[in-house]
Amino acid sequence: MRKVLLLMLIVSPLMAFSQGFQVNLEGQKQIGMGHTGVGTLQDGASVFFNPGAVAMLPENYIQGGISPLFFKSDFNPAGTSTQNRTSNKIATPFEFYAVWGPKSSFWKLGLGVYTPFGGLTDWGNTWQGKYVLESLNLKAIYFQPTLSIKLADFLSIGGGFVYNHGSVDLTRAIPLANSSGEPGQAELKGSGKGYGWNAGIYIKTESGITVGITHRSRVNTTISSGNAIFKVPTSIQSSFPQPNTFTSTIPLPATNSIGFGFYPCSKWILALDVNLVNWDAYKTLSFDYKTNTAALQDTHSARNYQQAVSLRGGAQYKATDKLALRFGGGYASTAVADGYVTPEAPDANRVYGTMGLGYTLAKHLDIDISFEYEHLMQRTQTNIESQLSGTFKTDVYIPGISLAYHW
Amino acid sequence: MKTLKQHIYIIAGLLLLGACKPEIHTPKPVAGSADFSRYISVGNSLTAGYADGGLYLAGQQVSYPSIIGKQMQAVGGGTFTQPLFSTAQANGSGYLSLTGFNADGTPITTAVTSNLGIRGQVTVPGFGNVILYTKYSGDINNYGVPGIKLLHITYAPYGNLNGYFERLLPGNPPTNSTTYLDFVTAKPFTFFSNWLGNNDALSYATSGGAGDVLTDKNTFAYLYNVLITTLTSKGQKGVVATIPDVTSIPFFNTITVSAILAGVQKANPAVQALYIKALVSGSTYTPRAATANDLIVLTFPTSKIGQPVATPFGNLPYGLTPYTPIDNQYVLDEKEIALTEDYVTSYNNTIKTIAAAKGLAIFDAYTFLRNIKQNGLVVDGVSVNSNYISGGLFSLDGVHLTPRGYAIVADEFIKAINDKYNSSIPRVNISDYNGVKFP
Repeated sequence: MRKVLLLMLIVSPLMAFSQGFQVNLEGQKQIGMGHTGVGTLQDGASVFFNPGAVAMLPENYIQGGISPLFFKSDFNPAGTSTQNRTSNKIATPFEFYAVWGPKSSFWKLGLGVYTPFGGLTDWGNTWQGKYVLESLNLKAIYFQPTLSIKLADFLSIGGGFVYNHGSVDLTRAIPLANSSGEPGQAELKGSGKGYGWNAGIYIKTESGITVGITHRSRVNTTISSGNAIFKVPTSIQSSFPQPNTFTSTIPLPATNSIGFGFYPCSKWILALDVNLVNWDAYKTLSFDYKTNTAALQDTHSARNYQQAVSLRGGAQYKATDKLALRFGGGYASTAVADGYVTPEAPDANRVYGTMGLGYTLAKHLDIDISFEYEHLMQRTQTNIESQLSGTFKTDVYIPGISLAYHW
Repeated sequence: MKTLKQHIYIIAGLLLLGACKPEIHTPKPVAGSADFSRYISVGNSLTAGYADGGLYLAGQQVSYPSIIGKQMQAVGGGTFTQPLFSTAQANGSGYLSLTGFNADGTPITTAVTSNLGIRGQVTVPGFGNVILYTKYSGDINNYGVPGIKLLHITYAPYGNLNGYFERLLPGNPPTNSTTYLDFVTAKPFTFFSNWLGNNDALSYATSGGAGDVLTDKNTFAYLYNVLITTLTSKGQKGVVATIPDVTSIPFFNTITVSAILAGVQKANPAVQALYIKALVSGSTYTPRAATANDLIVLTFPTSKIGQPVATPFGNLPYGLTPYTPIDNQYVLDEKEIALTEDYVTSYNNTIKTIAAAKGLAIFDAYTFLRNIKQNGLVVDGVSVNSNYISGGLFSLDGVHLTPRGYAIVADEFIKAINDKYNSSIPRVNISDYNGVKFP
């Protein structure tokens, strides 16, 4: 059991994005139910979904899971029938939670380690947009210690402190060819950190409906001395000084959520979540180089993201004592306005469907699997800054598995 | 455990699902109302793929007609064959390559002289020396001949005077008597592009108004009409391009009066002005102080400035007195510019009028390149402009284009063709093509 958890932690967390570059893969039971979990109570993943609900958990939990993610994007340059596709790389968002408190006490402690933001796209170095982006590997790992307190039988609150370890590795071609005609390349690579918090309220109403309200704060992640590596022809190397470093701050947006749980009979749980993601915090992507030259200026590239909404619904049916069946789906509006779509995050309004299965392996041990399919609406765009013009279409396939030990 | 096994099968199935690729469905490209089965290109050095002061294999391979021809294959276009130099003689006429930068950032170019495609030289009485290149005898779709003017297309002896044309003809000078117009129309074709006329103005301009003359406007109109009438005589369709504003090229905008003057004043602050021989009217030139409106050619050896020149008043520094003005061949002065622009405007009106009358597509290169000079252009994340070397659009000779420049031009031709004939020739992937190569 512990070995499995350890293994899951060792797997390097690479991610792909969902809505902007948000990843919504924080608990296999919740994924199965269409990513709902703010207004319901399932397991230790409440540390993420609603820290206010953690104190209501009847047991203690240690659990971990992984969601290998297949992000498949296609770009069709305007006026051609060419298809530029991202290469097959598997991102691996993961989640780990521990929840502990004395039996029937009014408080519980929790720890969550999860990957709410990230992106893994690799368009290669021969595609039409290579001077815009070759590849991006963006990761954010949140560590969240949490305290939750039951104020009354029907009301609990909780909050957590968030430490984010973020990293970025971005490559793009530079339109300066060497004597054999190969273009140059820039790689910006580094890691940094950011801080934030997470709080929630969980209410059991008299009618039996449960309600959750949460806020996850914005986490500005600053990479303060990333490596700026430029491969350019020898004769112009002095214009791209090496070694060089860069500073960049990426705002990971705040999310406000409200969720409801309905219990029509003992075998069924229905859940509904609404999220408002403050993507409008992401105005520009800037890289501030330590050493500038006439050819190497700091870059400030407008992103002008907009607030985005997602609506999620899901259900669980307890088929037998040991087996739970889950399904769900949702809709998420895009964070990226027209004219700002980039190959980093070829975002669009999306719909998704999920299904899941939970099975009690042994007395204290649950296994949960989930599968999600996301479809991003085809989007034809001309980027204002790069003038890259064409149609993006993206599908995402995400199987997932987790183990939860509870006592 | 049995259930777990089932789960594994499910997971394996899901992983397979993950192999599905998204596909964007695009309409099948169509030829529209044009027939691209044999496309020929008529033109000068720009059409031939001339770059960096020479015609060589690598440049020919990215000529704009070859890019268009390749794209046309999606809509029924045939093979597009060019009179390429062989791999063994890949450097053709020879060309300039960038070999480094001086401490002050100015580029150092070096002539490439190996693996040339030169077979000899003849002296044509009353004309001068003509370099003879290795003959090409295969099929031709790209009829671009460096140096040719519209003025030359019906001139029978021209095949003896231009080595690039002579190379395509079977005979040896002075026996060639096929006109360019007859040569390009000898074999049936269904579609053409025509970008002739540049040299009728450019040759005058690049010689600083000294070594050549502007083609008469009426002669231009007459010949353009003959050309288009012949090219469309069997109902062929085509695209024509206008003549760029010659002053929009880096050949005239890289070495400036103010930069030379600033250099001189560093050593000698007393110097007030550069002197040039400027056009008054007709063929009368008088010396005067140069202004920012006078354009210095890229090939001007700035080291000449200040060198002692013998005059009736003793030795005086070159370029710094009215008695020792900069030679006419190095300067396109304000009046010469106005004259050139007047002729180019007239030529372009002719081109647009005749093309419109024949229902041809028009790529307005004049407007397009002028707009790039003023505003630059961004394509697929790459910024291009008209600056020498750094702009990425013009090659080392400051007149002809880089592969990126030719790809951009090819794409503009395709846009014009698609608009006119309701065709959907695929657009060009500009990011596949480079600007100037750096050592």
